[in-house]
Amino acid sequence: MNIESLVADLAAKVPGVVLAADPSYVKSYPTMRLSSAAYLLPAASFLKERGFDYLEIITAVDWLGPVSPEGYTRGGRNPHPFSAPEAPALVAVKNPAAAYKPAFDMLWCLANIPARARLLLRLEIPREDPAVPSLTGLFKAADWQEREVFDLLGVRFEGHPNLKKILTPDFLQGHPLRKDYVHVKDRYDE
Amino acid sequence: MSKVDAFPGGKFDQLFVNLGPQHPSTHGVLRVGLTLEGEVITKAEPDIGYLHRGTSKLAEARGYHQCVALTDRWDYVSAMPNNLALCLAAEKLLGVEIPPRAQHLRVVMCELNRIASHLLFLGTYGIDLGAFTPFLHAFREREMILDLYEMLCGARLTYNYIRIGGVMADISPEWASKTGEFLGFFKPRMKEYDDLLSFNPIFLARTQGVGLISKEAAVDWGLSGPNLRGSGVDYDVRKSDPYSGYDRFDFSVPLGKAGSCWDRYYCRALEMRQSVRIVEAALAGLPEGDIVAKGVAKTVKPPPGEAYAHVEASRGDLGIYLVSDGGPSPYRLHVRAPSFVNLAILQEMLVGCKVADVVAILGSIDIVLGETDR
Repeated sequence: MNIESLVADLAAKVPGVVLAADPSYVKSYPTMRLSSAAYLLPAASFLKERGFDYLEIITAVDWLGPVSPEGYTRGGRNPHPFSAPEAPALVAVKNPAAAYKPAFDMLWCLANIPARARLLLRLEIPREDPAVPSLTGLFKAADWQEREVFDLLGVRFEGHPNLKKILTPDFLQGHPLRKDYVHVKDRYDE
Repeated sequence: MSKVDAFPGGKFDQLFVNLGPQHPSTHGVLRVGLTLEGEVITKAEPDIGYLHRGTSKLAEARGYHQCVALTDRWDYVSAMPNNLALCLAAEKLLGVEIPPRAQHLRVVMCELNRIASHLLFLGTYGIDLGAFTPFLHAFREREMILDLYEMLCGARLTYNYIRIGGVMADISPEWASKTGEFLGFFKPRMKEYDDLLSFNPIFLARTQGVGLISKEAAVDWGLSGPNLRGSGVDYDVRKSDPYSGYDRFDFSVPLGKAGSCWDRYYCRALEMRQSVRIVEAALAGLPEGDIVAKGVAKTVKPPPGEAYAHVEASRGDLGIYLVSDGGPSPYRLHVRAPSFVNLAILQEMLVGCKVADVVAILGSIDIVLGETDR
């Protein structure tokens, strides 16, 4: 399969999908960027028709900034888990070169098994009340992977038939993979 | 976990049955809430998370080298591919070139681990279905592989052997000769498993035509590994997206036909034969040279960027999505765990099955809960 022609076809069919500025930003796979969540379903169904019927991953990155160490400590008794000189500093250090912003960067990876090709779709959404359309109607593999992203990052997938927590216990408050997550004491803390 | 309603909706012809989280055939802490009508399942709800340790979160406060030790705890019955997947992603970010000797050693260790993992499956699947003897045979051989690993790196399960930039230690001549001895011992044993289990009429009756997954459903649900290939879909990361020089080795990808429990089982049995071939070829053609790439520091700080790497782990397509912001620890680590994705199909697949087949189906999916929950 010629990935360049596919990318051009997709960009022509769904105008809001363009090849990322640095197409191999996610090393080393072609990456396309969606300009709005409305283009996700048309782009995904176009790709599915073209044989990209294997949904490999759904995930998201919280670009708020490096994690605050409070998220790791349980109460005041336990210090930061590592104190070796190589360990990350106790205070989150922001790297000036990195592009922090209050946004989630979503990632979908679709694969075409016979053609041995895969394509990544990216979409930036605001951190406030984050929501994207669910792909469960197109790929059943989206079911649990979307639930995982919902559980750990708090992104709502609109149209998901069973969007509830999957990995963390019911009493856990917040979404642990958000960078501003702070552990709330629960019954397992002394 | 939801509240248990023994008679859902107050209907007395329906019964709610809890399978797990403590149940010998769930191979870990998996709970499946089954709603039965007589012997037939009308609803199945897998419930996971009992073993969730938040390794993605833990990784955000550790250095890259320390994260390799976390990966051992995902699929703890075959940890080498886990190490490899994380190292491949980190190496993509760093742009490190791996010496050929280290590449070969990685392949050898991953394939031996595949054999060990499939042996565990073969043995415990027999037990699930009431055959105890194959378990003893399979574990005898698995022990030999674990002994080899102990000799190699000191650990039997959590190896931490594959490191960013290469591998931890070179093999000794004794290790190579012991591995040769093991392969010589192991090859005729595979025929024995076939005689004992694969073509045993009772085993066939319990697994053939049971738990059918069509080609389309397997792809739709994102299955990978022997579960996908058991349905006849030719997808193996080693072939379709080669890494660590797998494209230099000659091996075939066994495919099933019907997508039944037996097909998935027998795919694994055949895969062991291919793994033996790869190990033999890799050891025979082991190049001389370094085992660690030059220039990998003790504290690695990859330039800001993102990488996705995936490997064919024993249970399927293990993907690692790694983001660096230029700091000393990963900014984000996402794991596409094959067991997690493979398990989701249960909710659809079990509906309409007889309750007696649940154990056969669950066993044939071959999940490891450490990886499902991470």
